[in-house]
Parts: sequence; C-alpha cells; structure tokens
Amino acid sequence: MSNNTRILTVDDSPSMRALLNHALTSQGFDVSQAEDGIAALDWLALNEVDVVITDINMPRLDGFGLIERLREGSRHRDRPILVLTTESSEEKKARAREAGATGWIVKPFDPQKLVAAVRRVAH
Amino acid sequence: MNAEEIQAIFFAECEESLAAAEAGLAACKAGTHDADTVNAVFRGVHSIKGGAGAFGYVALQAFTHTFETLLSDVRDETVAITEPLVDLLLRALDTLSDHVAAARGLGETPDDAALQAELTAAMAANAGAAPAAAPAAAAAPEPQPTATSSASDDDDFGIDFDSMMDSIAGELTGGDAASDDDKPVSKGWVLKVRPHTGAMRNGSEPLLMLREVLELGGRCVECDVGQVPPLDTLDPVTGYLGWTFVFPDDVSEASVRDVFDFVGDDCGLSFGEDAPMADVRLPAPATPASAPAAPAAAPIASTSTSAPAPTEAAPAPSGGAAPPAPPAPPVPGQSIRIELGKLDKLIDAVGELVIAQAMMAQRLAGDGLAVTEELAMLEGLTRDIQESAMAIRAQPIGSVFSRVPRILRELTASTGKHVRLDVSGESTELDKTVIERLGEPLTHLIRNAVDHGIESAEERLAAGKSAEGTLTLSAEHRSGRILIRIADDGRGINRERVLQKAIEKGLVAPDAQLSKEEIDLLIFAPGFSTAQQISNISGRGVGMDVVRQNVKDLGGRITIESEPGSGTTFTLTLPLTLAISDGMVVNVGDQTLVVPLANVVESLRPAPNEVQGLGSRRAMINVRGRFIPVVPLHEAVGALGAVEKAQDGVLIVVETEGAGRAALLVDAICDQRQVVIKSLDTHYRSVEGVAGATILGDGRVALIVDVDGLVSRSLSGMSLAEAA
Repeated sequence: MSNNTRILTVDDSPSMRALLNHALTSQGFDVSQAEDGIAALDWLALNEVDVVITDINMPRLDGFGLIERLREGSRHRDRPILVLTTESSEEKKARAREAGATGWIVKPFDPQKLVAAVRRVAH
Repeated sequence: MNAEEIQAIFFAECEESLAAAEAGLAACKAGTHDADTVNAVFRGVHSIKGGAGAFGYVALQAFTHTFETLLSDVRDETVAITEPLVDLLLRALDTLSDHVAAARGLGETPDDAALQAELTAAMAANAGAAPAAAPAAAAAPEPQPTATSSASDDDDFGIDFDSMMDSIAGELTGGDAASDDDKPVSKGWVLKVRPHTGAMRNGSEPLLMLREVLELGGRCVECDVGQVPPLDTLDPVTGYLGWTFVFPDDVSEASVRDVFDFVGDDCGLSFGEDAPMADVRLPAPATPASAPAAPAAAPIASTSTSAPAPTEAAPAPSGGAAPPAPPAPPVPGQSIRIELGKLDKLIDAVGELVIAQAMMAQRLAGDGLAVTEELAMLEGLTRDIQESAMAIRAQPIGSVFSRVPRILRELTASTGKHVRLDVSGESTELDKTVIERLGEPLTHLIRNAVDHGIESAEERLAAGKSAEGTLTLSAEHRSGRILIRIADDGRGINRERVLQKAIEKGLVAPDAQLSKEEIDLLIFAPGFSTAQQISNISGRGVGMDVVRQNVKDLGGRITIESEPGSGTTFTLTLPLTLAISDGMVVNVGDQTLVVPLANVVESLRPAPNEVQGLGSRRAMINVRGRFIPVVPLHEAVGALGAVEKAQDGVLIVVETEGAGRAALLVDAICDQRQVVIKSLDTHYRSVEGVAGATILGDGRVALIVDVDGLVSRSLSGMSLAEAA
C-alpha cells in the first residue's frame, strides 16, 4: 500500500537524516529531507507529502513550532506528523500530542519500528 | 548510501557538536549562561547521543545519556550554573570527546565510571530541591485509568519499546495464522474501543487503528451504533461509534494497547467482557466559558464546522503543567553542506573566469573599445562572483581557537601550570584551507608557550607575577592579510642559552655576531631544542621548524618578539585566500611584474628634489617629511633596459612586515587587476623574492613579487654593500 508514500524527514542532524532516509527508502518510501523547521516549510510550500517526520530540538524553528505552523493552515491540518523523541514518558507523549503531533518515534529507532509507526498513520 | 557512509556523516557531525558544546561551555565559563548558550551545549550532546544509540556505541551512548540528563537539569534551571559545575561539564566534554574518538577506533574507551558518578551526584544534589521527572509525570493531565502494565514509562533508550515492537512483529505473524474462522469466537479476550473526537485530530485516523487491530488478529463482533443522534443534530467530528473486538489469547494486551499509543485517552479502551464501553464524549458547548483558551480560540469554536476547534480547548487546562517550548537556539544562518571538491571546482572556474575576463578586456582595449559600458559591468560582476565564491570558503577562525581550551586543560594536567586564556577576534574569517592547516602549527605554538614560556607557579611568584600564566590569542585583518598572535607572559626567550645551544649544534659559527632577532629565529632551525629535559609535551625539538614550514606553505610568515622576563609573542601573518588577489601590473625594463595590492600604500612620480642620494648606490625619497628607501625593482629582478633614476620612473610605496615602508622603482604602472595566483613551487621551484606567477590578459606569464622578501633582501644587501 505504501510503495509511493511520500515522507518528509526534518532533522538538523545529517546522520539522523541519513539513517531515516536509509531505513525508509529501503522499504520503498519516497523520502525527502529538510534540515530544520524553516527548511521544511520552504520545501512543503512547493511539494506534496503524505507523512512528515520531524525532530523536536532544531535551530531556527523547532519541531513543535513546525507542527504549529503546519496545523494553522487547512492544507496540513490533517497531515500525519510524527515527532522523533528520545523519551517516551507519558509526559512527553502528552506534550507532543498537545503540540499537534500525530504520533512519535522513539530514538534510537530500529527500522522495523520506524516503518510500523509510519504505516500506522499513513492514510 | 551504506552504513559506513552514514557513520562517517555521524562522526563529522560529532566533531561539530563537540565544537559547539565546547564553545557554549567556554561562554558559560566566561559568565554567559543564558538559555541559548545552555541549549546549544545541550543540543550538541543530545545530537551525539541520538547517533550513538542508532549506531550501537553503547559506552558513548551511556555516557552521553548521563551527561545529557545533567545538562537538561541545567537547561531547566533545576541545577544552578556554578564555576565548579562548568568545570565538571568541561571535563565531561573532554571525556565525551575521547568516547567519540574511541567509537571511531582512534583510542581506548575512557574509563568514565568516576566521572559518571560525579555527573550523577551533580544531579542528585538538586533532586531534593526540585523533584523533576516523577511528580511531573504523575501530574500529567491525561492519566489513563487502566494503563498500569503496558504504558510504563519506557526508559530513555527505548529498549522496552523495542521489545514491544518485537512482540508486535511476533503477533502480526501469529495473528495471520489465527485469523481464520476456525478459531472459536467465544475463546479469547474482549476489547471495547470508542474513538473520541480527539482521536481524529492531529491527522490521526481511527480507521487505520481499527485496521491494525484486525491485522493483529482481533475480530470485530459488534459495532455500537446506539449513540448516533438524529441527522440534524449529528456532529460529523464526534465519535459516536464504538466497536467490540475479540482477540485470541495469544495476542497480548500490550501489543493492542500499542496500536492506540498515539491517541492516548482520546480513544476510550475497555478491556474485558464486563467492562463498559467508554461513553460518547459530546462536543463541548460552542463557547466553552471555562476553558482559559487563547482569545483567538473563541471565534473559531463558534464556527462549528471547524474540526479541531472544540478539542483545541480541551488540553488547555493542562497547559500549565507542560514546560514551555524551549527557546529557539541561536540562529547561525541557514546552511547547506557542500562537498569540498565541488567548491574547489567552482573556485577554479572563477579563477579561469577572471583570466578570461582580463583577456577580453585586453583584446577590446586593443581595438579601441576599452571604455565599453558592458565591459565595466562584466568586470564588476566578475569581481562580485569572485568575492562570493571566496566568501563560501571563508570560515571564522573561532573553530580553531575553540580547540585551545582543551589543549590548555591537558597541559595544566600534565605540567601543573595554570594558564588563563584570553581570546579575541574569533569571528575573523579566512579561507577554509588556511584554517584547516592552521590547527597543527597553532597547537604546537601553544604547547610550546606553556611548556617553555610560562614558568611554574613558584617561579612566577618569585618574579613578582601572578601565579596563573596568561596566554593571549588574537586574530585580525590587516591590509588584506590576517594576523594571528600567540602571546604568553612567561620568561621570554633565553637568548644566551639559545645561542650557546646553536653553537653546540653547529648551527652558527662560535664567533658569529647575531642580533637579538636573529637569535630568536634560531629556534626555528631544524633540529633545535633548548628544553633541558625533553618533555612529552612540545615534542623533541622537531616542532618549531615544522611550524615555520607549515606557515610558509600557507604563504605566510612567522615572527617572534620576546622580552626576557615578560613574555614572548609569536605573530603569524597569513593570506586570506590562496587563490586570487588584487595586483598592480608594472613594467620594469623588459619585464612585466605584479605587485600585490595588499602591500601597496600609494604610487607617485617624484620630483627631482624629492629624491636624495645616499652614498653611491642608495637613494631615499622624502614622502611628506618621511624618508623612505628606494628599491630599484630592476636590480632585484635583473631586468634589462629599465629606468635607472627615480625621477624618470614611478615609485610605488609599499608596506612590509619586516622592513617597514619602501618605495619600489618601476618604469610604469600598466594596470590594476585581479590575478589568479599560480604557485611557482608546483610548476617550477620556489624562488626568493617571488610569491608566484599569474597569467596576464594577453596570455603572457608574469611573476608576482614577494614584496616583503624582496625589500628586506634588497635593503640588507645594500647595507652590506655600503659597509664594504
């Protein structure tokens, strides 16, 4: 079902982007990359995407800020957005959910886990 | 891209993260510990941790975790920033750096047990004052009534989560096998699901979750439609439906809960046949008076078609419990990563463009079209492109300076000498290649300064100095070059001993009469070492000549100023870039030469009475009351048929590092333009007095004059000739 699911990964860490890219493309996803919230907004202004995966702590515009900006408009109001987090405490989850995230991926992730999370939210 | 390439990216990133953290901590140490600074440190360590986990560097990950936890306390201001704490963090950073090196296979994994304990103690010390995680979690706004077993807080490494996922994977296959009709429905356990409105916000789709439940092996036995209202009062975004599923016994409750992990209690779950289905949550009244939502929420809520509006208000009461979003960290400007090779290609092409432009200008000038507007435009653009291309390669020297504190800490540990560091001009920019090749000589000079220059505390006190030594590092732009100073306030160079040693080693004749400066320069002689006992810090005397060679290779020079008893200053003078510079094209007899514009102060055509003869061969020119020696360029380069008398030619006043100002006598100035520097070393060999060569507009090759070298050689030659 997901062979052409388009994913935008947003992370300021090149190695994390590379890892995400590797894990997702090997499963047949279409992956694009942005290095922070602003770059993601720029990219999204011109491109279509099915799922956004974003880190939280990033320069310029962090993940929560990005989600807030995306949810403001109707175009991405119902877009599945997963946040990358290093903690999975209930507090953090509530926080992510409150910020508008659809779900989360706990770092470090294994590829299987990542793909399962994406499939869970991909329309 | 394979795993190794990703790993290489990770390690490059580690270096950046370490440097950023180091810079942040240095700022903390200097008294700047605002949120941005602390967050920068946190982010550096955090980013290393993320990758360490992904690549399975267990020791690195464990250490970064402890480190990060303490930093997170610092960031949240539950741990106060004190001097000892910053010192502890700095030590932790050093160890982290060693961990990274070990992960790279460049050393042993450091034994960090004691340090970990210290870091943990720093957290624990404040745990009583501000109980951080546990109570906050308990106060979390949406406690799930039945969530006791599975929703346990995963530890930060996500290991529990992993095993959960594994179990899902297991269940998935088990579920497939069990999904056939031969399983009696009555067997197994029951789940009742009712997605509330909230399960549809944030892009969640309850249908996908229900599908996943089916994939796990659940069978839908009942759909509760009893709550669906008449059509005219139906709210399309309210969850009126509830489903009852039956699972085979071999499907774990945890794996099913996990499906609904993302929606939390926005989805009512009841386990067990007797448990009641969660009630329908009816939409909130149009204007929820109780919700202290932002004013903007009210108008949205009143337009009832807007889906997320009612739920937007719901989490608001919990807003107080959640920490505010971390402030945006300092913005170093948007950046992209470019492979260096591509950049070099661009720079090369720009170099060729500059030459081509010059050639075209020359051709047009030959056809009487020199004053072409388009040509001027092209020239301006070419210059813009060149400057932009150069700026791409420029980096602040701070990246080199930021390594110094660590070097000093290590030196303090091994020598017992305490050294304070003063740094200025970190933001001075210069070419990346220069920066990269600067690290080694700089490190060596610093080690040398601490090891040989700065005295022990006792010695310093006896000499009436403060016990702590001071090392000053500075960088600045000076007439198209960059000046880097490394100054210590130590004992200065012991010239007597240097000279004695040089004589012993046969580097100078026993009866040689050397000036102070010449003696100082002896320390750069190959094979020279004055350390009474060879220390393991500044090497075995193979260093200083290598330092000088490194600097020379960069097109720079190094000078020493030393005052016995009060310290030594090394000054490195380096070019900003290695590729292109501005030059003045001059004619000298049958030769065309290029004088780097960086050296040129002014040019003038002297009146006969302004030039004064000094002896038979030497002349001085009076420039506004100041006498400057005239250096006939034709003599220095052996050009034929050149102007001999200053008043017949043009004098170019140049500034030199070593010999002050001098006036170069040339026949005429032809042009002033950008020249692409081609090294003579690579194409021919190094020639004294010549900095390199370039290709002129007409395709001829012209030598670029090394003004410093040529002037000092020429002037000293004169003084010898005079003495004779």
